[in-house]
Amino acid sequence: MNNVFKFKNKKANVVAQDEIYNFAYLDENTKRMIRRALIKALCIPGYQVPFSSREMPMPYGWGTGGVQVTSSCLTTDDVLKVIDQGADDTTNAVSIRNFFKKTANIETTETTGDASIIQTRHRIPENQLNEKQILVYQVPIPEPLAFLEPRYQETKKMHALSEYGIMHVKLYEDITKNGHIETAYAYPVKTNDRYIMDPSPIPKFDNPKMNNNPAIQLFGAGREQRIYAIPPYTEVTSLDFEDYPFDPSKAPHKCSICGSNDSFLDEIITDDDGNRSFICSDTNYCNQRMKDK
Amino acid sequence: MEPILSVQNLNKYYGDQVGCKNMNMTLYPGEVVGVVGESGSGKTTFINSISGNLNPDSGKILINKDNEIINFLEISESLKRLLIRTELAFVHQNPRDGLRLDVSAGGNISERLMSIGQRNYGNIRQTIFKWLDKVEIDKSRVDDFPRTFSGGMLQRLQIAKNLVTSPKIIFMDEPTGGLDVSVQAKILDLLRKLVRELNLSVVIVSHDLAVIRLLADKIIVMKNGEAVESGLCDQVLDDPQHSYTQLLVSSVLQV
Repeated sequence: MNNVFKFKNKKANVVAQDEIYNFAYLDENTKRMIRRALIKALCIPGYQVPFSSREMPMPYGWGTGGVQVTSSCLTTDDVLKVIDQGADDTTNAVSIRNFFKKTANIETTETTGDASIIQTRHRIPENQLNEKQILVYQVPIPEPLAFLEPRYQETKKMHALSEYGIMHVKLYEDITKNGHIETAYAYPVKTNDRYIMDPSPIPKFDNPKMNNNPAIQLFGAGREQRIYAIPPYTEVTSLDFEDYPFDPSKAPHKCSICGSNDSFLDEIITDDDGNRSFICSDTNYCNQRMKDK
Repeated sequence: MEPILSVQNLNKYYGDQVGCKNMNMTLYPGEVVGVVGESGSGKTTFINSISGNLNPDSGKILINKDNEIINFLEISESLKRLLIRTELAFVHQNPRDGLRLDVSAGGNISERLMSIGQRNYGNIRQTIFKWLDKVEIDKSRVDDFPRTFSGGMLQRLQIAKNLVTSPKIIFMDEPTGGLDVSVQAKILDLLRKLVRELNLSVVIVSHDLAVIRLLADKIIVMKNGEAVESGLCDQVLDDPQHSYTQLLVSSVLQV
């Protein structure tokens, strides 16, 4: 414990951080425990590592898992970006960014390229990430088999023995009901040709971005107490059938602000006459394109 | 001919209580072995122990897979589960135990296919239709949920789900229990047809002697967890030696 206090005092001399908190809120022992889980998760891509999730000063479902992972990864030199559904300016994003500003006194940014750690809820930024970046996902339900097999013991066994037939039953049902695979978000993937993984509720449009990504991708589920990860340059494939291949579809529109044809779009209802427009969900990407014009 | 399944000195205890004791059985390809006995005699414990649902305390279970003898109780969990999904099948008394009720009939049949790696929707769909036809369920019901099926249809669906990957050994625990007599007759008819057509090896548990007489070649009579008599079905039922078997045979209603 002595070390912890020394560390805290040393930090306090370097930065003018709120002294009520240890650096980045969590105590050093907790961060060490989470880092161990992260390392294990990186060694076994897609495998869910249990960790002892802490109570955070925010409700479950608001990113307690992601926040704990970010907290354990942050150093004083890091630049943090937080997005919620692609946007930098929504409640969840703003409050998590402020949380770390207050508890770690680190620099924050809205520019994808400038960030060293990006915490995200439900999107992967449009701009290509690089080897120096970490992408932290907030995960509500880490178990991809949860809705098909309610027994946790059984899903653990199914993962261990690669018994994944049932995952395709879900896709089969989709095609049977709708004529195509209807799952549009949290679309199951196979990581490094071994573990089936829930990519958190990102749109399936983002699934191909996980494949061979140079950045480290970390997933934290606070309530479910699980951490999993995709190391850089790892193969991530979306499940499908030979005759119904995976299709990362998007709305057939252009962004009505920046005109982008290939970014993921949000549908905005503009009045009560049924008029609607489509805009980029990644606000930073959209703003930058406007600036470049 | 080599037996496809051979059980030697199998014991299963629940604490001090006997589940089944000193059980032996040989099952040859294409043969049907019936296990009868009163309620609580250890029939279900026996069939669960030899099918991988329960872990017996001691004994040997040898399975012949393509002329390779596999010691079922000593292989790894992963190989065991692979065998259970490919070589073995288990038909539960209550079809709801063997089916996923929130998955369509077709989805239920397709699960085993996809778990052995089939990834072509069109082909899977064809196989599903073939099996619905075999178990005499109308093709139009393929996308309906099992909960909308009658009891007899559920049982037939469960049979299709289990047989779709052409397993070698089928275990059936009271497959006609809880069904009315005419539906029972239909299921039995279907089972008899499938057994002949596909040359299935079957272990069937039932308290109903008529079911066993109709389906089984050999019979094992159980009482208090032990086999009291075994042999050819007709021989045992026509000329029972053990007093309990005599009681069992004589208690069948003669209509």
